[in-house]
Amino acid sequence: MATTTKRKALLISSELCIGCRGCQTACKNWNQLPGQKTTNTGTMQNPPDISATTYNIIRFSEVPSQANAVRWLFVSRMCMHCDDAGCMKICSAPGALYKTEQGAVAFNKDKCTGCKLCVAACPFDVPRYDAQNKIGKCDLCSGRIAEGLSPACAKTCPTGAIKFGDRADLIASAKKSGYGKVYGETDLGGLGAIYAFRDAPRIYGMNESPAIPESVIFWHNVLKPLAIIGLGGVVAGALIHYAAIGPHKDEEVK
Amino acid sequence: MTNHWIDFKNADVILVMGANPASNHPISMKWVMRAKEQRGAKLIVVDPRFTQTASKADLYAPMRSGTDIAFLGGMIKYILDNNLYFKDYVVNYTNASFLVNPDFKGPGELNGLFSGYDEKARKYDKKTWGYQMGEDGIPKKDPTLKSPNCAFQLLKKQYSRYTLDKVSSITGTPKDKLEAVYKLYGSTGKPNKAGTELYAMGWTQHTVGTQNIRAMAIIQLLLGNIGIAGGGINALRGESNVQGSTDQGLLFHLLPGYNATPSAALKDLNAYIEKFTPKTKDPKSVNWLSNRAKYITSYLKAIYGTAATKENDFGYEWLPKTDEGMNASWLMLFDKMFKGQFEGFFAWGQNPACSSANANKTRQALGKLKWLVNVNLFDNETASFWKGPGMNPKDIQTEVFMLPCASSIEKEGSITNSSRLAQWRYKAIEPLGQSKPDAEIMNELFLKVRELYKKEGGKFPEPIMNLAWNYGKKVDIHKVAKEINGYYLEDVYDNKATPPKLLGKKGELCATFVHLQPDGTTSCGNWLFSQSYTQKEGKVINMMARRGKTDPTGLGLFPEWAWCWPVNRKIIYNRASVDMNGNPWDPKRPLLKWDAVKEDPASKKPGTWVGDVPDGPAPPMAKDTGKYPFIMMAEGKGALYGPGLADGPFPEHYEALECPLEESLMSKQRINPTIKIFGGKEDAFYSCDMRYPYVASTYRVTEHWQTGVMSRHTPWLLEMQPQQFVEMSLELASEKGIKGGDRIKVKSGRGEISAVAVVTSRFKPFRIGGQTVHQVGMPWCFGWQYPNDPKAGDSANLLTPTVGDPNTMIPEYKAFMVNVEKI
Amino acid sequence: MGEMVRKASPEEIINHWILAISCLLLIITGYAFLFKLTQIGAVFGGFNGMRVVHNWAGVVFTVSLFATLFNYLHESLTFDADDWTWIKMGGGYLSRSAKKAPPMGKLNTGQKFYYLAVMAAGIAIAASGFGIWLVSGSRMITLVSHLVHNLAFILFVVAVPAHAYMGTLANPGTFRIMVYGTVPIEFARKKYPKWMKEIGKL
Repeated sequence: MATTTKRKALLISSELCIGCRGCQTACKNWNQLPGQKTTNTGTMQNPPDISATTYNIIRFSEVPSQANAVRWLFVSRMCMHCDDAGCMKICSAPGALYKTEQGAVAFNKDKCTGCKLCVAACPFDVPRYDAQNKIGKCDLCSGRIAEGLSPACAKTCPTGAIKFGDRADLIASAKKSGYGKVYGETDLGGLGAIYAFRDAPRIYGMNESPAIPESVIFWHNVLKPLAIIGLGGVVAGALIHYAAIGPHKDEEVK
Repeated sequence: MTNHWIDFKNADVILVMGANPASNHPISMKWVMRAKEQRGAKLIVVDPRFTQTASKADLYAPMRSGTDIAFLGGMIKYILDNNLYFKDYVVNYTNASFLVNPDFKGPGELNGLFSGYDEKARKYDKKTWGYQMGEDGIPKKDPTLKSPNCAFQLLKKQYSRYTLDKVSSITGTPKDKLEAVYKLYGSTGKPNKAGTELYAMGWTQHTVGTQNIRAMAIIQLLLGNIGIAGGGINALRGESNVQGSTDQGLLFHLLPGYNATPSAALKDLNAYIEKFTPKTKDPKSVNWLSNRAKYITSYLKAIYGTAATKENDFGYEWLPKTDEGMNASWLMLFDKMFKGQFEGFFAWGQNPACSSANANKTRQALGKLKWLVNVNLFDNETASFWKGPGMNPKDIQTEVFMLPCASSIEKEGSITNSSRLAQWRYKAIEPLGQSKPDAEIMNELFLKVRELYKKEGGKFPEPIMNLAWNYGKKVDIHKVAKEINGYYLEDVYDNKATPPKLLGKKGELCATFVHLQPDGTTSCGNWLFSQSYTQKEGKVINMMARRGKTDPTGLGLFPEWAWCWPVNRKIIYNRASVDMNGNPWDPKRPLLKWDAVKEDPASKKPGTWVGDVPDGPAPPMAKDTGKYPFIMMAEGKGALYGPGLADGPFPEHYEALECPLEESLMSKQRINPTIKIFGGKEDAFYSCDMRYPYVASTYRVTEHWQTGVMSRHTPWLLEMQPQQFVEMSLELASEKGIKGGDRIKVKSGRGEISAVAVVTSRFKPFRIGGQTVHQVGMPWCFGWQYPNDPKAGDSANLLTPTVGDPNTMIPEYKAFMVNVEKI
Repeated sequence: MGEMVRKASPEEIINHWILAISCLLLIITGYAFLFKLTQIGAVFGGFNGMRVVHNWAGVVFTVSLFATLFNYLHESLTFDADDWTWIKMGGGYLSRSAKKAPPMGKLNTGQKFYYLAVMAAGIAIAASGFGIWLVSGSRMITLVSHLVHNLAFILFVVAVPAHAYMGTLANPGTFRIMVYGTVPIEFARKKYPKWMKEIGKL
């Protein structure tokens, strides 16, 4: 069993993705997720978005091209496994969302209370809830990686468009392959799903400046401490008041 | 494939035309992308549609469906005009220098026809197509390639008509794209460059299917790309074991090992051998098929065992035979079935009600049967045809039986992929329910038939009673594999050696097809598979089960992983990868190299090939005993000029049976003159007809397997591709008032289907001869039965025409005419 | 004991207990959610159970809070000059010696403000609580609800303990109102002269 404490990651290289969706199926297979009832809406992308029963989809987009009539882009959309994860920050149920040793943001449906706060706090709109109101999302196949295997998507990918490995190595290899910037290298403390793009990430439908909502940060940095200071303060105040001033004394009523 | 999947990584330029591997052979893209990543290889995609593969291309050229020969003919002209061809290779390894009968005339002279056309029979008399023979019985040659009758000059003449303007007006490909493709692919004519071509059903499923591939073979020979690592012409097979099925004689015209099916006119074994053994007087030609007698005799010994004797012609008489000139291909069979000429039909592992061209006719035909046996994993549109759309069960008398069979993971056996690689697979689980492996079903069926023959007698019992069928009550699949490999039935000696050398002991498994004998002392179910399950020093070895991972050449040959035919040769015609002295054309990609010092393991003399298993062990051509590399050709040369096909020695552009043009822009002959025209009302076809103005093509999607019988029942796949769709350009959609996601109706002269419109920039209208031609495309993986939802759609083959290639009779699924309307 | 005056009706007493208990429960579980206090979660059989308790305690609290409107809203919105004086002298809570406080009614100024603040925060915390619980699909609503819920929570965790202190240690003899609803008449005359005058018992 080759578990290391080194942070693991997926490196997604859209240039190598052929849109075969082997990863999408392998994900469902490994996680034993049911097929959804879908319709063709005029695009190959289906199911239209990730859900509690679809942790990974290939997003198909047609964008203008200089050389040809069109460019056809494929990119895997799944949980980004932020180091500083908004979902984990806001989650109120201990153990419902947790970081694995390898840096994956994993979940435990039994612990999830179904509050859906994580949905609002995620900069990538990833967490989804199932029919039982429990969270479902990519967990980087943490069960597999704990056993020294690679996640099902990376294992299946025929072209190496999804590679799994030590995060630092993946970043280094992407840079060596001539990618100037790796998407997610530093965002949110560094993502666990990093992307190598030759173009602006925006054309792949990526959020170019992902961030945890400011209200969540304010809540986390200000309100949470205040909730302790406030209660502590008032209790201490009462004690001091009682000791220093004592019970209320009224003048006799005339 | 001449080469193999992994070999794509060795290419400098990869041309994908007539295929969409990113969708249909995703794993192959591993090697394509590796070539791009690691060698900086360039990927060219030519396709009517901007496919998933095109999305990875360095160069994409759109081309109207059915105009590949025009496209490739233009490339041949470009290569010749610009001297991009590999001269040494062309002169020494191809038939470029061969002189052709001076009476031969080409389409340039005869309005699109070759000499010898018989209009009534729709056939060529090939008398004028032959070579000029010298007194030594060898074709005359002009190594300077200057003679107007030499194949090279004829080639030049044939394609001089394929100018950029003409090609562009036919294909609809912009001229700059044409030139860019020609230039880039033409760059592989240098000795140190390798270009490979990947094709699939996009080339075969046309009325000019065989010639599409011939055109590319000519290009590859001109550029010296055959026989080398990173080169070749590579058929991406559409099913995991379709290579195996053709190898093992599943087609009507072939016995196992590509031995021809005998016709009734060939009265005895000698007549058969005489007809199918090519001859040459050229001592430098290996002419491997001169061994035909050994292969057919050993085959007869394998199937009739001890009943096959020299006296009874090894049971040749018992072989099933076609009538002379009979074509028993798919379209013909179903035409006969439609006419009520069949009583029964085994639909074994297939779904013709959806896969067959002109599926309406096929469905009608099934209703004329007395009985139908469906051997399949699931009930399908074929077994349930009688309750399908437009059918009245009361009118149908066909009795249908369902025999559930095991899936590939429920049985053991070999599977042969496009690389000719036979890999042994093991059973993962027991067959579910009452299902049985196909071999079990066949075994029971045969034993029962034989029992009935024994009990009741019957017409012509010998083939049944004499068949060597000893696989046990429950089939031992290893016995089958060993029978295919073959046995020494006696102690077999090499009598040319002095003293005669023992090749194999009686009862042992054959070591190689080289040991097979024409006298009944060896048996072999399929000579190409001899060595697949063999014996070394008495030890039985299933070569197909090997899992060695060494790669001594670094070229990805992996000689110890499973086993490929022939004799584990990974790249066919590999002696063409070296010069006359046996040195690789490209020292950086040394597939083979002649080592004059190293001892040959067989002859124990110095001088041997290092690298891949050489195609014929002869020394380099410069040596006295050297041989030509194209050992399967009687003349030993790659055929620029190919007189063997039904529709001409050179590919010529003809329009599809159904096309948008009144007249071909190439010649007066619009369609392939040798195709069979089916005349029935149900076979109607319409060219240049206002009612069916758009070119259509069918194709597959990654998510579904063939007609979808397996994949439609898999929810993970169905959710990705839930409904029949039709892809069309923004321009056509706006003309027809259709938006993406709308429900539309697609209609051809033979049927109609409903579908979802996928409106996309990946299709663009073509400019053909000054007019705008729209093309649409659709998958054929759906059927009415499942999912049980009318909006899922029915088979696209309700639209396709009843017509096939004259050589193969593969139907023209890839180019026909339709209309689309919003519902 | 001498003559007693009924300050709170039995219904009021019951409602206040309901309000107090649900509020306490909400605060405790609220802290447990905020800081993932597993020991507290364990009391409820885990966070799922605790979430159910928190949500339904919220419902009870909301109903109970609204029920108080009948009792205290009118008076809480009624201010006069005495209230101003009361504020200026801090209600007499800032001095060890007895101070002459302005005469108060049934609720003193501080209680009125407390009530209004708790009412406002209560509405906010209830509305935002239901927003988190019941509204999904809007990131905006969830985020605003989350923020408001936590802001109101801070007000509660400051105000409620202060209220408890005032009702017990800071004002000996007051707590019995929460139990019996009655106070000795002399006590009442001291604390609520205006009210006593109103009911003619001064």
